[in-house]
Amino acid sequence: MYKKFLIILFTSFILVQCSSSDDDANDINENNIAYDREKMLVYLADNIIIPAYSSFKSALTDLDNSTKTFVASPNQTNLDDLRSKWLVSYKSWQHVEMFDIGKAEEIYFKLKMNVYPADKTWLENNISSGSYDLDKAENYSSQGFPAIDYMLFGIEVDDVEILNKFKSNFKYTNYLTALINKMVTNTSTVVDDWTNYRESFVISSDNTASSSVNKLINDFIYYYEKGFRANKIGIPAGVFSGGSLPSNVEAFYKKNISKDLALEAMEAIIKFYNGTSYDGLSSGPSIKSYLTHLNSIKNGTSLSASLETKLQSAKTSINSLSNNFASQIGSDNNKMLNTYDAVQSVVVLLKVDMLQAFNINVDYTDADGD
Amino acid sequence: MKLKFLPLFISCIFLFLSSCSNDGDDVVDNTVTPPSTYKFERDSKTTISYSGQTARLKMANELSSMMNSSTASQSGLDNMFNKGTGFTDTTLDATGKNVGGKTFASAIAASTVKPKFNAWIVDFISNVKPKMSSVASNGSAGFIQDAGSTKKRYFNDKGHELNQLFTKGLIGGMAADQIVNGYLSPAKLNGAKADNDAGTMYAEGKNYTAMEHYWDEGFGYLYGLEADETSPTLGATGDVLLNKYAAKIEASNSPGIAKIIYDAFIMGRAAIVAKNYTVRDEQAKIIQIHISKIIGYKAIDYLNSYVDKAKAGVAGVEWRADAFHALSEGYGFILSLQVTNDGTGKPYFTNSEVNAMLAKMSNFWTVSNADLTAMAAEIKTKMDLN
Repeated sequence: MYKKFLIILFTSFILVQCSSSDDDANDINENNIAYDREKMLVYLADNIIIPAYSSFKSALTDLDNSTKTFVASPNQTNLDDLRSKWLVSYKSWQHVEMFDIGKAEEIYFKLKMNVYPADKTWLENNISSGSYDLDKAENYSSQGFPAIDYMLFGIEVDDVEILNKFKSNFKYTNYLTALINKMVTNTSTVVDDWTNYRESFVISSDNTASSSVNKLINDFIYYYEKGFRANKIGIPAGVFSGGSLPSNVEAFYKKNISKDLALEAMEAIIKFYNGTSYDGLSSGPSIKSYLTHLNSIKNGTSLSASLETKLQSAKTSINSLSNNFASQIGSDNNKMLNTYDAVQSVVVLLKVDMLQAFNINVDYTDADGD
Repeated sequence: MKLKFLPLFISCIFLFLSSCSNDGDDVVDNTVTPPSTYKFERDSKTTISYSGQTARLKMANELSSMMNSSTASQSGLDNMFNKGTGFTDTTLDATGKNVGGKTFASAIAASTVKPKFNAWIVDFISNVKPKMSSVASNGSAGFIQDAGSTKKRYFNDKGHELNQLFTKGLIGGMAADQIVNGYLSPAKLNGAKADNDAGTMYAEGKNYTAMEHYWDEGFGYLYGLEADETSPTLGATGDVLLNKYAAKIEASNSPGIAKIIYDAFIMGRAAIVAKNYTVRDEQAKIIQIHISKIIGYKAIDYLNSYVDKAKAGVAGVEWRADAFHALSEGYGFILSLQVTNDGTGKPYFTNSEVNAMLAKMSNFWTVSNADLTAMAAEIKTKMDLN
């Protein structure tokens, strides 16, 4: 017993000695086996990122074709078809917005695809002047999905009037075409680049500020915090302002799909976290298995399991809301705020506990003023 | 015995060697030597800055009186709270800061709490202000005058003195929450680690790093109205939030607490300068726990104070003036409990636990003394208070 005591004492001594300087031990679990981060990158690229992008690209091609048909003959049938293609591609977009890496980061892809609310006045100005540069920051909020939302659902009070506008004023069809063309071009730029980019992406598996692993994980958290939590729920619910801002919901003019889009995004988040392939048929190394490997414990429960549970309960909470977040905010904003809290409870685990386990630094700072 | 443990012993040595082998190469001297006061400089110029916190504390002072004033208006209060404009001290308007944006705003705060403050503004303007010359009763807003005093206190239809709910709610919801769950949290501080390690300054023209600044901003929510931060006077600053109650607890329940907190702020700030994040987090933990205790002590104190007054109360309503005032303060401190921090990032009471307590206090005219006494006991036990 005495020897046993000595050993324990010695072990504790080692642990105390090393506890503040074990930077290298972070991707090594208790059995001393390093996690294969490159294998994770290969899996994520080949089974989630690239398939999600190619599916999005093909949805945009459909949207492009429907736009051409609609512009050639703006009638109700073609409008309905165009709207449905817009919705399909908007849902597909929810699976790629989080990958702000490579060309996507370089060309500010997400800012050109999904900044909302759309700036109605600016947009109408662009339409009537016919003179604008969609690559400029001033036009982020008058292009992409939110701008099309406005053009297809919000420019007039009903379908007859909307169709009249497209029939009578070529400036509307011109702008719609310009928007779609820009989305198609930007998407091709990003998606096609992955053919070359994949190789450098997957080998960049070390722990530096610019490595793929660090950037991808930071992007994921940033997207979860900003693109998902704040934009879709927090801002319209008024968490960051004196009162609620219902017109800031995603797809405000379509009205009844803000929940669908949020659920789609949640699905993408959960799949990415779990390492479920884009087609849903297989699974592989991901954040979750990496955390499981490190055996991180938070309050007596494994961190990977806590995260999964909290993500699922956030999803359940979103599901309990009205299809139209704007009307949910109007009727019972507390429900919206409760959902925000459920979504928010994941942020702390991701940003503190998970990053600590991975020994990765946050590469963005909160822009919350002092 | 020997054979069984020898391999473990050997592997321990290997573990020791492998995990510590780099220590010799990148040893940095990060011994923390704290100064005796909160004084930090680069090239003889102070590196401490928390003007945003000072501004918000001043705003909270004006809000606190306006929430009890017959000249208040809905838009006026809303602008002061949410937009940071309309103050008597007009320099505050230009700071670009506001209190509302930092009210129950940390990562752990429930987002359903902040809207209560907006609702209190509405309640005060629509229900209390028009009834300032009627006597309050159960179900009716109005005033109650203390026996033997000219002091009138104004209550809503449930006996809540709204400026007390509001102000004491901000003690936890702004001052404490921003310190213990905001600026001193690992999430906030670690985000600035790379720049602090590299010695990168916060911004062009600034002589402090982001991490130093965050720590100072936390400091500012407690000491932001002190005339001299190297010698805080606590309670003599006109600060109606945390500073005032730190002084009260120092003078009653927990003598010595003021020095513990101040010294931990100094040590933690010095640790940031020395890039010693272990020491930094130890100090953050001390501050988190002790600031939380201030809130816990005051919650208990006001619950007990109400019960004492209620037991001594005779016929008539006069006794309720003081008693409801005390309970209104207690309400705000209990609300604040959900943003305390036990040093592990968790509050001593969750949002739903706090809501359950507040539900028992929803109408002061019918509140049960036994419930309040039980709550005080629960807080005492859970927070390990004297």
